[in-house]
Amino acid sequence: MERAARGAGRLALAYAAALVFFGAFVITKGVNPIDVYADMWRSLTDGTSLGEVLVKAAPLMLAALAVAVPARAGLLNVGGEGQVVMGAIGAAGVMLALDGTLPGSATLVVMMLAAAAAGAVWAGIAGVLRLTVKVNEAITTLLLNYVAIDLMLYLIYQPWKDPNGSGQPATRQLAAAARLPLVGTSRVHTGIYVALIATAVIWALFRYTSWGFRLRVVGGNPEAARRAGLPVSRLLLSAMLVGGALAGLGGMVHFAGAELKLRPGMTLNFGYIAFLASWLARHKPVNVAGAAVLLAAIAIAGDSLQLDSGLPAAAVNVLMGLVLLAVMGRGSVRTRRQEVEPAPTPTVPAETVSAPA
Amino acid sequence: MDLLLQVLIGAVRGGTSILYAALGETISERAGVINLGTEGCMLVGALAGYAATATSGDPWVGVLGGAAAGGALALIHAVLVLQRGANQLATGLVVLFLGLGLTSLFGAAFVGESINAFTPIAIPGLSSIPWLGDILFNHDPLTYLSFAVGPAMWWLLYRSRWGLLVRAAGEREEVLAAYGHSPLRVRYLAVVAGGALAGIGGAQLSTAYANAWFENMTAGRGFIAVALVIFAAWHPLRAMGGAYLFGAALALSPALQARGVAINQFALDAIPYVVTIGVLVVLGRKRMHAAPEGLRKVFEMSPSS
Repeated sequence: MERAARGAGRLALAYAAALVFFGAFVITKGVNPIDVYADMWRSLTDGTSLGEVLVKAAPLMLAALAVAVPARAGLLNVGGEGQVVMGAIGAAGVMLALDGTLPGSATLVVMMLAAAAAGAVWAGIAGVLRLTVKVNEAITTLLLNYVAIDLMLYLIYQPWKDPNGSGQPATRQLAAAARLPLVGTSRVHTGIYVALIATAVIWALFRYTSWGFRLRVVGGNPEAARRAGLPVSRLLLSAMLVGGALAGLGGMVHFAGAELKLRPGMTLNFGYIAFLASWLARHKPVNVAGAAVLLAAIAIAGDSLQLDSGLPAAAVNVLMGLVLLAVMGRGSVRTRRQEVEPAPTPTVPAETVSAPA
Repeated sequence: MDLLLQVLIGAVRGGTSILYAALGETISERAGVINLGTEGCMLVGALAGYAATATSGDPWVGVLGGAAAGGALALIHAVLVLQRGANQLATGLVVLFLGLGLTSLFGAAFVGESINAFTPIAIPGLSSIPWLGDILFNHDPLTYLSFAVGPAMWWLLYRSRWGLLVRAAGEREEVLAAYGHSPLRVRYLAVVAGGALAGIGGAQLSTAYANAWFENMTAGRGFIAVALVIFAAWHPLRAMGGAYLFGAALALSPALQARGVAINQFALDAIPYVVTIGVLVVLGRKRMHAAPEGLRKVFEMSPSS
């Protein structure tokens, strides 16, 4: 109890420190930080911006869960960006292939399936390489991000480019019937429901199923898991596939709810922000979703920075960086212990050591 | 033939900024710390280099400014990783976003400002050698400097005492400690030096390559550098070759397009990454052996809860 209170106190202090430091930066640009924060708060609490936050949070939540699921099994998925892009490509491909032959709702379902499959394949490549040739998944997922982005650019600059467009490199727009419906009369699309449902499902899977339990055992000690007879390889691969599918779904939600067409730069570092959201929340599904909303809110606050204070919108990345810095750097009982007791290094000769499968 | 020449010139011109960053990342990773924020270090280096050149009128002051800014940002990464035990990949990304934000906040004032940039200097005699002269000896001073930095880094890492300390910090820190050295201090030095080199790479981009500052001008070169270090199996000379390979890939498609060859640039852009993955698959185990022991611990994440 006391420990929890102390932890909360530290967290509050970390957030406060981030705000103070960002205020100091703002002062150097001749802007009053109190005004900046007041404007940000006002803009975030009015209805439209709140909607913007939810629109941005939906794909971020899904992409952050895509980090949290493999993390439970001890895998590092740095490839959210690529998997989100692949999901968007999958959804756009369905849009172009079906070309309105199916009713809108059926198109939506097929788009979701295609996006999840595309994301899962992208993450699955890294998973398979890890299990077969023992190439580390953090490296391959990172590299595959660029391949996915280049693939998207290739498609929208040539084969998928809208012939009736204004010459901009982009696909045509998604037909109105196949878009994610809006929530009531707002600008918020139902992608946020998809994200919330996914969060609840992952939470329940982790908590109540043997799959969730086994993933944690594998993440805790793969060797012990193997000796206990768990199918370690299959569990690791399943974690990557589920993660990739979630990120792919995030790409579809962003495509069919907000962007409505493929265009360069549409993902805007979503995968990396989501990676940080998952780490911020220590990979616990509900907290991860909350962290994704927080980071989405900070990103949207950047618009207020530009409109109300005349600072560049991207400057809000400083605030985001400082918040993450303060929260990650505040330390915890666990990280302290790790510092004192480094993991024992294997005494096997280097030639025989390889990444555990 | 003309095409090949153009691509080779472009490889050296475009590869140099990546080369500096990749060499910096090599030192850092050799000491056991990966910095995904290399992109951020390059970006602050590009702005600081540009700003320092604009205010002082001397591009060499800009180089110092770029190195200082890149090193300072890497220092944040080092403190979090080495002092607070934070996850390296996550803090690296934090550093990236800090770099994006800071350069956006302070860079707006320098957009469109003109500077006294580095100019290409043709080396008398050497530059008139056919082909080789154009490819190697008609560049800005920072490019000439980079020719020396690669081999110097090799010498430092493999032949000097300092390099032995860095490699020991990345492989077996307990050995370093047993001999009375502080692994912590060596790592700090390596990470900050890595950031400083990335900063110089950024400064090369803004004061010698593009001669301009604009938001997010590094456009992923820092990430290329991180990928390159893996591709090069943590070896500085191979990193040099790799940087020029990436530079050539970037130069090839505009050169082809200028000749009316219809080619999609992005198919070419993806090749280096696919090749890197292919190399990892073929040489998978061997390559991962080349990875510093300390780095492998980073990739093998501890249980989450």
